[in-house]
Amino acid sequence: MSTQNSFRNEPLLEFRREAVRAQVLRALDELRAKLPLRIAGSGAGELVSTNPANPAEVVAIAADSSRADADAAVERANAGFAAWSALAAGERATVLQRAAGLMRERRQELAALAVLEAGKPWAEADGDVCEAIDFLEYYAAGAIALEQGRPLVQLPGERNTLRYFPRGVCAVIAPWNFPLAIPTGMVSAALATGNSVVFKPAEQTPACGHAVVEALHAAGVPSDALQLLTGRDEPAKALVAHAKVQMIAFTGSVAAGLSIIRTAAEQAPGQQHIKRVIAEMGGKNCVIVDADADLDDAVPAIIKSAFGFAGQKCSAASRVLVHRDIADALNERLAGAVETLRVGPAEEFASDLSAVIDAEAQERIGAFLGGAGVEPRASAAVPAGGGHYVAPALFVDLPGDSRIVNEEVFGPVLSSERVESVEAAVALIESGAYGLTGGLFSRSPSTIDMVSRRGIVGNLYVNREITGAMVGRQPFGGGRMSGTGPKAGGPDYLLQFVEARSVSENTVRHGLVI
Amino acid sequence: MSIDGFESEVHAWGRRLAAQLPRAGRNPAALAERRMMQAMIGDPRLRAALFRFVDVRPACRDRAELVRHLHEYLEEAAIGSDGSGTARRLSSLVGRRALELPTASAAALGVAQMSHRFIAGEDAAAAASELTSLWQQGRCVTLDLLGEATLTEAEGRVYAARCADTLRELARASAEWQRNPLLEDDGLGPLPRANLSVKVSALTPHLRANAPARALEAARDQLLALLRLARDSGAHLHIDMESLDTRASITELVLELLSAPEFETGPSAGIVLQGYLTDSEEELERLLGWLREQPRATPFTIRLVKGAYWDHEVVMAAQHGWESPVFTDRRSCDRHYEHLTRRLLDARAEGLALRPAIASHNLRSLAHALAYSDHLGLAPEAIELQVLRGLGDDTAAAITAAGRRVRVYCPVGDLVAGMAYLVRRLLENTSNDSFLAAQTTGAELELLLEKP
Repeated sequence: MSTQNSFRNEPLLEFRREAVRAQVLRALDELRAKLPLRIAGSGAGELVSTNPANPAEVVAIAADSSRADADAAVERANAGFAAWSALAAGERATVLQRAAGLMRERRQELAALAVLEAGKPWAEADGDVCEAIDFLEYYAAGAIALEQGRPLVQLPGERNTLRYFPRGVCAVIAPWNFPLAIPTGMVSAALATGNSVVFKPAEQTPACGHAVVEALHAAGVPSDALQLLTGRDEPAKALVAHAKVQMIAFTGSVAAGLSIIRTAAEQAPGQQHIKRVIAEMGGKNCVIVDADADLDDAVPAIIKSAFGFAGQKCSAASRVLVHRDIADALNERLAGAVETLRVGPAEEFASDLSAVIDAEAQERIGAFLGGAGVEPRASAAVPAGGGHYVAPALFVDLPGDSRIVNEEVFGPVLSSERVESVEAAVALIESGAYGLTGGLFSRSPSTIDMVSRRGIVGNLYVNREITGAMVGRQPFGGGRMSGTGPKAGGPDYLLQFVEARSVSENTVRHGLVI
Repeated sequence: MSIDGFESEVHAWGRRLAAQLPRAGRNPAALAERRMMQAMIGDPRLRAALFRFVDVRPACRDRAELVRHLHEYLEEAAIGSDGSGTARRLSSLVGRRALELPTASAAALGVAQMSHRFIAGEDAAAAASELTSLWQQGRCVTLDLLGEATLTEAEGRVYAARCADTLRELARASAEWQRNPLLEDDGLGPLPRANLSVKVSALTPHLRANAPARALEAARDQLLALLRLARDSGAHLHIDMESLDTRASITELVLELLSAPEFETGPSAGIVLQGYLTDSEEELERLLGWLREQPRATPFTIRLVKGAYWDHEVVMAAQHGWESPVFTDRRSCDRHYEHLTRRLLDARAEGLALRPAIASHNLRSLAHALAYSDHLGLAPEAIELQVLRGLGDDTAAAITAAGRRVRVYCPVGDLVAGMAYLVRRLLENTSNDSFLAAQTTGAELELLLEKP
């Protein structure tokens, strides 16, 4: 695809400049003055989102949709499919690019919304906005290229073509941790390729979900080709089970993902297709630190990967596998670095760690910590008050069967284990169920080559942090229990949203090739 | 004086300095080093391989590890190398079993020797005789304590304690030095013999590009203690500048602390201005504005450098989609450097309590500064030139011979700690834009002195 070299990521805000910080803080004040946001929608009950750093602050009040609302939305989307899919890819791309422009114009406000509703620190919130814009631009261009089809072998007397067709109604079920970027990615990939969409944002971040849909509608996506369905589990389950849903794009937990795959495999009455599921799920991401690593680089990168956004990323580092020769030095420095972390509201630039998303997450992570049986080697203080704060924790040399070592915590918890060699670390990763992201710190070209060739994870990061995949540069997604491996933001992603059709025409008439 | 007239003054100074440069070629070690530098300038892959080796060397546990790394780097450099072929030859050499151990030993030794050229000693005490010898040769010094990155509070405390020890050791050692008026008075008052350059990023692990206030809180007490010690021991404390990420923190911290009444009469202190930053003139105006208003009786030093984080700044900006904060064109950068030089010397001539220190290895930049200083009618001792130990030794000798004050920036610390510094210096030394590289490859003097 020609998009690969011309694509450029949306520039991040340069927060190291005071004027830029002042600008977003003003946007935050302006947004705050409008709270609570009221999001119109079907559904009788109310869904309330709050600021994780201050749960008393209501960010948005949205509809709590039911199964019936979900069914109605699918019917409408099914009706809207014909007109949207009939447009040329270039026309749809123009609409998506316009949506990118609208998000760009509102980028400070959107970042402020992610700060307040998801508790995302500024740099991460801005990254979320930029990634959303990137997805719109990248998939718009990718769909134009895809419309050309692919070249086939041509012999005299026949004309062979391969074209891609949209599938129909796509249900998008999105998480709260990238409340703008991930839904925008899944929704725009489906729309760019001509599908219609019913989008169910996470119950914690309906306002962010609404902002995405608002931009797309304002840009020209017809209201029945894209519908927002705010709510809890019920409407999501109804979407997955619906006979007229052709595909489901999901990002979230392993348990929810497997449940979707199970339900989608059942043929509903009247269903005339096999549902496709694209699932991005969890990880238990390891960073291997070889004996020749530069700890000056490894320590800050590990800290950022493990504790950025309080570890609430599927790409976050949760296990360090360090060569025994430098384990003591690394652990000592990691511990000291954890102690310097400052926990506080996402809206304060001085905070390193924000609050976790909600009380349930706080409890769940607390149970992991309580069950460890030992105190963490290092931690940091949390602010008093009602925020859903969890202190960062570093554990060293936990037993191999400890829950913290084996399960995805999805919080600010890191464990460090000694290994005999890089080879042993690779074997440990291979013996686990997940394969999302991973890190390697080494200064040996042959070691880097060996680990790269083993293909142990979807995204391997060498001598850098293991989070922060950029559209077009680090296509994101893993295999094994981490997901179906679609690689969001990469050249192959859109293929998941289409079906290929080939046509072979006989061009011989009366013995002549015409 | 006309512009042409001034240009001819610059050239005159350039020729005068060049004539005093020690002749290379007599000393076989210097000759070998020059050949090596030429090979590196001509073959970027070899250059990369050797940098990577220098970088990893302290992390190698044994000779076998050294050999393995060296071999891997050279092998990569040899694949598709279109340069001198040196990498290929070296690679096949290292690959031969019988040669492995001696080669590794030689390579290890080479790195150690190279680092001794740049690093004056393990600590101030170990470097004392070297500093004394520089003083006897008519040069003054500033010490810089190399170290690993400060990632923890404990590491910050260790660095602060090393700084304090160094200030005491410098004060003790320099007390015995013979008097040298050029190095000890610049017309604004006495110049301390003991001179230490400190890094705020080494004092605290709390530097955050997006939250400068955090470093202010975290480093205030440490820097305050060092300023008091410098004042009480009559030393100069210079606060170094690092990447743009930390400039706001460092500048605010230094200006805030020095504005306190307790530092009105000392210590002598200073900060750094990085000419490669496109907004460095605004930064200079801010410093001069502060200097005009602050009540300090003690002069303030501004060290003008080109800046040592060029690659970092360019890469960071490109990866984040930001406009480059540094000049990406050498001539614009050099022109800007000369402009800032004139602004600094103008401010001194206006009567501000300002000590301009022009730090460069570019003969043209130095000649320009000296010519402009003369042009303003400033006394010879009013301007200070600075060079780095190991890179600017010849230049320093030439400046001393010309009767001007030169301060040698001397890093001290162990090899592991010094690696980042060493690698940066090597990169600088052999980059295409490097003045020293041009000098090494034998560019014509008039070409080197050309107006940027």
